[in-house]
Amino acid sequence: MSLLARISAGLLLWAFGFSLLYAMQGTGCAYGWADVALFGTTLLRGILVATWLVLVAACLALLRLVRSASSDFENRVTLATTLAGAGAMLVTGSPVALTSACA
Amino acid sequence: MNALRRHRVLNAIWGAPTGWRGTVVSVNHSDIGKRFVIAAFVFFAIGGVLAMMIRAQLATPGSAFVGPDIYNQLFTMHGSIMMFLFAIPMFEGLALYMLPKMLGSRDMAFPRLSAYGWWCYLFGGTILIASMVFGVAPDGGWFMYTPLSSKAYTPGINADVWLLGITFVEISAIAAAIEIAVSVLKLRAPGMRLDRMPLFAWYLLITALMMIVAFPPLILGSILLEVERAFDWPFFDPTRGGSPLLWQHLFWLFGHPEVYIIFLPAAGVISTVLPVLARTRILGYGWIVAALLSLAFLSFGLWVHHMFTTGIPHMALGFFSAASALVALPTAVQVFAWIGTLWNGRPELKLPMLYLLGFFVIFVIGGMTGVMLAMVPFDLQAHDTHFVVAHLHYVLIGGFIFPMLAGAYYWLPHFTGRTRDDLLGKASFWLIFIGFNVTFFMMHLTGLLGMRRRVHTYPEEAGWTLLNLVSSVGSFVMAFGFALFAIDVALHLYYARRRRRNPWTAGTLEWAMPIPTPAYNIASLPTVTDREPMTQSPALATALARGEGYLGEPRDGWRETMAVETTTGAIDHIVVLPGNTCLPIVTAAVTGCFFLCLLAGHYWLSLLPVAGVVALGLRWAWVLDWRQDLGPLPIGRGEVAPIHREAVGAPGWWGSAFLLVADGTALASLLFGYAFLWVIAPNWPPPERIEGGLAAALVAAAAGLAGCLFTRRCLAEGANGLSAPASRMALSATAAQLVTILALVTLGITALPAPQEHAYAAGSWALLAYALLHAAIALLCAGFGRIRITAGHVSPRRTLDLRVARLFGDYSAATLAIVLVCLLAPAVAA
Repeated sequence: MSLLARISAGLLLWAFGFSLLYAMQGTGCAYGWADVALFGTTLLRGILVATWLVLVAACLALLRLVRSASSDFENRVTLATTLAGAGAMLVTGSPVALTSACA
Repeated sequence: MNALRRHRVLNAIWGAPTGWRGTVVSVNHSDIGKRFVIAAFVFFAIGGVLAMMIRAQLATPGSAFVGPDIYNQLFTMHGSIMMFLFAIPMFEGLALYMLPKMLGSRDMAFPRLSAYGWWCYLFGGTILIASMVFGVAPDGGWFMYTPLSSKAYTPGINADVWLLGITFVEISAIAAAIEIAVSVLKLRAPGMRLDRMPLFAWYLLITALMMIVAFPPLILGSILLEVERAFDWPFFDPTRGGSPLLWQHLFWLFGHPEVYIIFLPAAGVISTVLPVLARTRILGYGWIVAALLSLAFLSFGLWVHHMFTTGIPHMALGFFSAASALVALPTAVQVFAWIGTLWNGRPELKLPMLYLLGFFVIFVIGGMTGVMLAMVPFDLQAHDTHFVVAHLHYVLIGGFIFPMLAGAYYWLPHFTGRTRDDLLGKASFWLIFIGFNVTFFMMHLTGLLGMRRRVHTYPEEAGWTLLNLVSSVGSFVMAFGFALFAIDVALHLYYARRRRRNPWTAGTLEWAMPIPTPAYNIASLPTVTDREPMTQSPALATALARGEGYLGEPRDGWRETMAVETTTGAIDHIVVLPGNTCLPIVTAAVTGCFFLCLLAGHYWLSLLPVAGVVALGLRWAWVLDWRQDLGPLPIGRGEVAPIHREAVGAPGWWGSAFLLVADGTALASLLFGYAFLWVIAPNWPPPERIEGGLAAALVAAAAGLAGCLFTRRCLAEGANGLSAPASRMALSATAAQLVTILALVTLGITALPAPQEHAYAAGSWALLAYALLHAAIALLCAGFGRIRITAGHVSPRRTLDLRVARLFGDYSAATLAIVLVCLLAPAVAA
C-alpha cells in the first residue's frame, strides 16, 4: 500500500487544495469577505491567492520529497503523478487571480 | 495425482450443482460474471428499444407516436437503464469473470458478496423494468433534478421507483467495487508485483476505488430525496432553507466520475487487446498507470461543469472549467500510448481491431466536443441542447461500447472454447459504426440549431426535420448492427469450431487455462516474474495443469487460493473461500423486501426486513467457522503459509476497511450538504436551533469513546489468548454502544427542532441518524465478537473477527465526535 500512497500523494494534495479553494471561495462570498478592502484588493482575493501560492509551493516541495523511490516503475509513476498534481494545482487554482470572486 | 484426477477433484470442489439448485446457490465468479454480462446485455436491448422509440417519435415534426408523459418515461428509463443497468454491470460482469483468471487466482475475494451483488442487481433492475410495464416508470430525467422530482411536482411513485430502485442496484455496484479492489490488491499469483500486473487489473483497481468514493454521494442524495418525499424533511425545498442545487451537487459528484468509471474499464480492454493484435507489448506501461491515476483524481474536480448555467460565480466556474479542460491530457497520454503501440508493432486487422479503430475515431470526436463544452461561454450556448446529447453518446458509445465489443470478440473464445470467421462480425461493425455516426453527428447540428433535449416534439418551421429524420434512420441502422452482433454471438455458441487455449497467442494468464475454463480456473497457481507470463514461458499452461505451481494438491475439499503482499506480490497467506450457499439470494430477497416496503409506503413494516438483513448478516459471518489453530500449511514447492484466519492482512479486514472508506465518503457528502445549505441556501438562518442537549451529547461522546476503547482492549486481550477478559471487554463495549444510542436519541428528542420545520433541522436529524446507525453497527460488531470468543472462534492467531470489530468501533467513535461537533456548533455560534 505504501506504493499506492506514494504514487497518489501529489494528486491527493491537489484534491485537498482544490476542495479547499472552492470551499473558501463559497464561504468568503457568503460572509462578505469580498467587500473588505485589503492592500488594494479584497480580503477574499488576498486569502485565496495566498492559499493558492502556498498550495503550489507545497506541490513543488512534494516533488522534491518523492524523488527517491525503490524502483524505476515507482520513480517514474510517482514523478509523473506528482507533476500532474502540481500542474493541476497551478492551472485549476489560477482563477483565484484572474476572475471575479462572487459575481 | 495426475492432471486428469486433479481436474476432477478440483471441479468437484469449485463447481456448482446442476439445474436450478446450482443457479440459486452458486457463488463461483465465472458463473456470476457470465450472468452479469448476459443480464446487462438484455437490459441494453431494452434500453435500445426505448432509444428507437425516442427516435421514432422525433423522426418527424408534430409526431403523435407517443405523448409527452410516455416520452418522459422513455428518455428517463433509457438513460437510467444504460447507465445503471447496462454500463456498470457489464464491466462488473467482465471484471468478475476475467480478473481472477488474469491475476492467476481461482476466484474473487468475496464470492458470496459477488452473488449477493448479482441478486441485488437482478431484483433492483426488475423493479425498474416492472415499473414501465405498470406505467409508473421514472419520468424526471435520468438525473432526477429537484424540484421536478419532489413530491409537489411528481406526486406519484415514479420518482420513488428511481430513487429506491437505483439505490438497490447501487448496493450491487459498491459490493462489486470492494470485491474488485480487494481481489486486485490481495488475490494475485505469487510474484505478481503491482508493476507486473496486467494493465487491465490496474484499470479495474482504479475504477473500483473511484466507485467506492463516487457512488456514496448519489446513494446519500437518493436517501435524502426519498426522505424528503416520504417524511417532508425539506433538504431541497428553498422555502424552508433547502436548495435544489444541493441535489445537483450530490448527483454530479457521482455523475461525472461515473463517466470515467464507465470509460476506464473499456480503456483497460483496449490496453489489453490492442498490443496482442499489434503483436507487441504495450508502450509506456508506467505512463499509462500515471495517466489513469491522474484521470481518476481529476475526474472528481469536474462535476460543476454540469451546472455552469445555474448562476455560479465566475471564479468557481473557472476552477471547474480549467479542471474539465485539463482532464483531456491524461486521456491523450493513453491515446498516444495506444497509437505508439500500433506504430511499434505489426498490427493485424482482425475483428477486435476493427472495433478499436472505430473507437479511436468516435472517442476522439467525443473528446473534442467535450473540451468545447468545458469552455463556459460555449457551454452557455449549447447547454441542454442535442449537442450535449451527441457529445455524451460519442464519449460513452465510443469510449465504452466499441472497446467492449472489441473485448467481446477477443474473449468470446474464452467463454465458449470456440472461434468463428469474422464475416457477420464485420457486417455488424459497419452497420453500428455508420449508423452511430449518422445518428449522433446529426444531433450536433440540431443542437447547434437550438433543439433542446427532452422535448417530445418540435414544429416543422424550426427547420430540424431533415436532420432528425436522417438521425432516426441512422439509429435504426445501428440497431440492426447490434441485432447482427447478437445473432453472431448466438451462432458462435453453437456453430463455431472448437479451439485449444490461447488462440491469439496472448501473454496474459487468462489464456493459461483450458477454454472454456473449468470452475477452478487453474490447477495450480504460477509464480509470476513478467508482465506477460505466457509470452515468457509458453509451456506454462501445461506445467500448471500438471500441478507444478502452488496449491496443486487439493486439501480437505477447501476452496483455496493464494493471497500476496499488496505491493511486492510475496506470498502472504492461503485464502479459504466459502462454498456454494443460498445465503446471498435470501439476503438479496430480504433486502428487496425492504425497498418494496418503502416503495409501498409501509415504513414501519420495512423494519422487519431490516431485522432480517441483520440476522442474515450475522449468519453470513457466523458460518465462517474455524475453531482451531492450524499453523502454516504446505502450499507446494516446499513452501508453507498460514490460512487467512491466522493472517493479519486477510481479505475480510481489507473489505471492511474499503466499506468504511465508502461510508466515510457518504458522511463527507452529508457534511458538505449541511455546510452548503448553511452557506448558500436561501431562508437562513433557521428560525429555531438546537437548544440544550449538552449533557446528552457529553454522555454520548463518553460512551462512544468507551465503546471504542473497550473494543480495542478486547482485541488486545484476545491476541494475548485471554478469553475471559476479552469476553468481558466485548460485553462492556456492547453496553457502551447501547448507552451511546440512548444518549443520542435523548439528544434528538429533547434538543433538536422537528425535522420538517427547516433544512437545518432536517440536516441535523440526518447527522444524528448517521451517528445512531454507526453506534448500532459497532454494538452488533462488539456483541458478535463476544459470542465468537465464547464459542471458541478466537485465539491469539485467530483475531480477524475482533480486528474487524475494532475497525467499526473506531469508525463509530470518530464519526460520533464529528457529528456532535456539527450538532452543537450552531448553539455555540448563537
